[in-house]
Amino acid sequence: MRDTLTSLRYRYWPDHLLGEILSKRWTETAIPVILLLIIGLALSRSIDNFLSPASLADTARQAGEIGFIALGLALVVIVGGIDLSVGSIFALTDFCALYLLDVLGWPVPAVVVATLLCGALLGAVNGILVGYLRLRAFITTLITLIVYRSAYDLLIQRYSNAIASAFPDIPSWDFIGGGSVFGIPTVALVYVVIAIFGHIFLTRLRPGWHITAIGGSRRSAYNSGIPVRRTIALCYVASGVLTSIGALFFASRLGTVGGDIGVGLEVIVLTATVLGGITLGGGKGSVAKSAVGVLIVLLITNGLTTMNARGGVNRMALAGILLVAAMVDIRWQKNRTRIISKVYVAPTYHALPPPPPTEIGQGGPFEQNDKLRNVESIGLGRIEAPEDVILDRHDNLYAGSRHGDIMRFLAPDYQTMEVFAHIGGQPLGMAFDRQDNLYVCIGGMGLYRIKPDGTVEKATDETNRSMRSVNDDSRLRLADDLDITDDGLIFFSEATVRYEMDEWPIDGLEARGNGRIISYDTKTGATRTELRGLKFPNGICVASDGQSILFAETFGCSIKRYWFAGPKKGAVEVVMDNLPGYPDNINLASDGNYWLALVGMRSPSLDLAWKMPGFRRRMAKRVPVDEWLFPNINTGCVVKFNEQGKIVESFWDLHGENHPMITSMREHRGYLYLGGILNNRIGRYKLDNADPNFVQYDKRWGKLS
Amino acid sequence: MIAAVREFANRFLGRGDATITVPSFDGALKPNQKLESAETLLTCKEPEDLATDGSNLFIADGQRLMSLSGGTATQVRSFERPISALCALPDGSLAVALGGREVSLYASPSAEQPSVTFADPAFNAINALALADDSTLIATDGSATCGVDDWARDLLELNRSGRVYRLDPANKTVTRLTQGLGYAFGACAHGNAMLVSESWRHRLVLVTPGASPRVVLAHLPVYPSRLTKASGGGYWLTAFTARTQLVEFVLREPGYRRRMMAEIDPAYWVAPRLRSGMSFKEPMQGAHIKTMGVIKPWAPPRSYGLVIRLDADGQPLYSLHSRVDGVNHGIVAAIEMGDDLVLIAKGPGRVLKLPLTGLAEEFRP
Repeated sequence: MRDTLTSLRYRYWPDHLLGEILSKRWTETAIPVILLLIIGLALSRSIDNFLSPASLADTARQAGEIGFIALGLALVVIVGGIDLSVGSIFALTDFCALYLLDVLGWPVPAVVVATLLCGALLGAVNGILVGYLRLRAFITTLITLIVYRSAYDLLIQRYSNAIASAFPDIPSWDFIGGGSVFGIPTVALVYVVIAIFGHIFLTRLRPGWHITAIGGSRRSAYNSGIPVRRTIALCYVASGVLTSIGALFFASRLGTVGGDIGVGLEVIVLTATVLGGITLGGGKGSVAKSAVGVLIVLLITNGLTTMNARGGVNRMALAGILLVAAMVDIRWQKNRTRIISKVYVAPTYHALPPPPPTEIGQGGPFEQNDKLRNVESIGLGRIEAPEDVILDRHDNLYAGSRHGDIMRFLAPDYQTMEVFAHIGGQPLGMAFDRQDNLYVCIGGMGLYRIKPDGTVEKATDETNRSMRSVNDDSRLRLADDLDITDDGLIFFSEATVRYEMDEWPIDGLEARGNGRIISYDTKTGATRTELRGLKFPNGICVASDGQSILFAETFGCSIKRYWFAGPKKGAVEVVMDNLPGYPDNINLASDGNYWLALVGMRSPSLDLAWKMPGFRRRMAKRVPVDEWLFPNINTGCVVKFNEQGKIVESFWDLHGENHPMITSMREHRGYLYLGGILNNRIGRYKLDNADPNFVQYDKRWGKLS
Repeated sequence: MIAAVREFANRFLGRGDATITVPSFDGALKPNQKLESAETLLTCKEPEDLATDGSNLFIADGQRLMSLSGGTATQVRSFERPISALCALPDGSLAVALGGREVSLYASPSAEQPSVTFADPAFNAINALALADDSTLIATDGSATCGVDDWARDLLELNRSGRVYRLDPANKTVTRLTQGLGYAFGACAHGNAMLVSESWRHRLVLVTPGASPRVVLAHLPVYPSRLTKASGGGYWLTAFTARTQLVEFVLREPGYRRRMMAEIDPAYWVAPRLRSGMSFKEPMQGAHIKTMGVIKPWAPPRSYGLVIRLDADGQPLYSLHSRVDGVNHGIVAAIEMGDDLVLIAKGPGRVLKLPLTGLAEEFRP
């Protein structure tokens, strides 16, 4: 009963998605967006006409003006600084525009250009001080805030009357502030254009990357040859220009130079920036975040104003939000990776019936024996981590090594070892094709082809991305074993799509179907995912009927058959289940049966833990990996099974001294060669009554040997 | 209320009592492999405890009492129940605990009938006997519910029912000195008080009659067991097995523990053991994976061999180890005999001998 509930709970509740979603970069934008939607919804319900076109257009105008300033501040914050003087720059450039237009009577285009120049100049002062003279951004811009504000106060004392008494009637000027295209205010349109450019600039263009790099680590950026000082200075200039754009629209819309223009603007913009998710420490941020932050802040302030809140309340609310947002931001940045690593591991319910007996005297097909005790060792201490072994028709022996090489031991005595090919990743399963090319699965890299002369070629390293996966599963993470059909179709297993090769124990701890079987067509070069949701699929072997493959699910403790052709095409059928150990590679035997390596044996304590996902989740959090309950892969065995899934024979090594671990085996001319991924040797065992001329892939391809 | 909230917060955050950290083998406990080089005097099936009268070495081997002198072992006598503790008295008599439930005193090792028998109904798991300085006997009883050999269950049930008794052969009385210990296993006189190993709390306490126990040595990375006096002052403290983070974690997982005890053969429990590596059905931990044919000695010990030399104040001076890749695990008894230290490694069933000369110089940090 309890187990049934647990099993249902883990089958239908996708625990693993939380970690996958959190590890996506877009979650940091998604959270402000959700906040925005919630606030928008709440306000539209409590305030009448909140979503009317007129109200929306008004919000859009304000959003555009503040949005420009927020964009500028975003740049400065991303580069690792802060600009408090934006409010004063806003006021000064607003004055500049109106003075030039109303008092000096300049033409509109000239006014626009001059205002932008003025903004650039004011920003450049910050830029030179912070960028080149390396003053602290906070104190520098605080000072310029005061200086600019004082200048503005002096100027308006003299000219405010002149500006206030002028009523210029210039259509192009009015269009800037009040015009609209298809009902959308000009300012919003211009903002969108600049925002799109800003997005491309930050994410796709070199200077944008430089800005992010400097914000991330100023010293590293400098060491990489990025002109740090100039870039920082230019960010302040850009901030000034963007602020002046906002000021231009404001000037055109209202045409006033009141004393409180731009006062407290920096708090609004800063709140928007932090609320949008742009980290104050620098190095992280985007245009979308800035825009979302502005909208949230505007909705809140407008909402409060509509609800007749006083100005003080309004500011206090903003300051409160800024404080909370900055706090959340700092905690999140600090703990992000830790939180993700804690929630990413999501064990699930995995129940196996009690295993068949293996003890001596208990009988049964898995009864232990000591047949493998006298296994000879090849390359003892010279080869490391031969997961799979294969022999060519000249009896040379090939094996992978953890140094990323395919090693070749030369027949007949296997004393000479040479590097056959260097690939760079851990070689796992291997198979020869009709043209004697060696196809190898490389953990972390994909499927590779090695020509008889030792040239390495990539066959494939990606497949189609599945629509329902949150993680991008198009890249191959852990290609494991393969076999080739008569039509030149290669089926290979990918053990897990959630973890890297060295993280296989975590996949075992999860015991979820994270793996898949993929096909690669040697004729067309197309790669396609055939099956997914498998529990660590491992060994693969094309069955004798030529229409199906047999594959092992290591943590599923089962062997299954998948029809890729014929009348049952697409069907999957269990051949053997509830094995007493963890099945690994499968290969053809000379008598038409199949060899299967059990890489490890099941233990009751882990079987029980697999039924208790909560226990394993807490273990993953509290206990270091070295101390986790593991699948026991120190002892294993080789079994031979037939087409019907019946065990014919088993080969054990009781003490595991000659050959501690068995991940694969290959029959060749009367001998069985054994590979083990954590071994420093290759095993060789003389088989009784085996075909002395059997060469696996020569028999497959109908060649004489 | 506050305690309950704190406990909940600790459990949730993995702090306080919920931490599973285990102290490292450090300082005087710095690992070595000295026990692996010990000479094997005798291999027997179930060695349990040692006693010596100065010239003969008595070994409790299951139901048999063996005597070892001059390299040959002879059976002195046998009992109907397994011997769970031995103690030689200065007058040549021998105290024997049988099956954890009774203690008999024999005037000589071969005497027909016991001179005194203590069989208090509260006796359940008498696992060590020691001589107090007033010629009475001290007996430690590990658990009120689990038998002598069922100590792993006692640990997993989080029992705290260990007791210490004083047995007075003169007037045949039994006095309980203290109770509520987390598995009392081993005692040794220390002035008019006695040092007692409290295994499940990984510490050594000083039990004084009429006072609550005082902690002498705490935060051990092992489960301490029997104690004997060392020549030149101080003590030999054996540790029958070591702690691991996995076991500490399982001790804080009631659901898993309950099902494990109900569903799994005790040999394959996630619990400390006296020997390991006998079957692939034993729980395996990450660091136990044999890589390039080697098991790492620093892997978390399912079984371990350790004897610690304490000074007269009960503080460790140095220690002798058999690490995870070794064999001589499950050291339950250590006793000085002449110039040698004789030990029982219960894991492989061996009686070991190490010459004492030079040990302190070699291993004192």
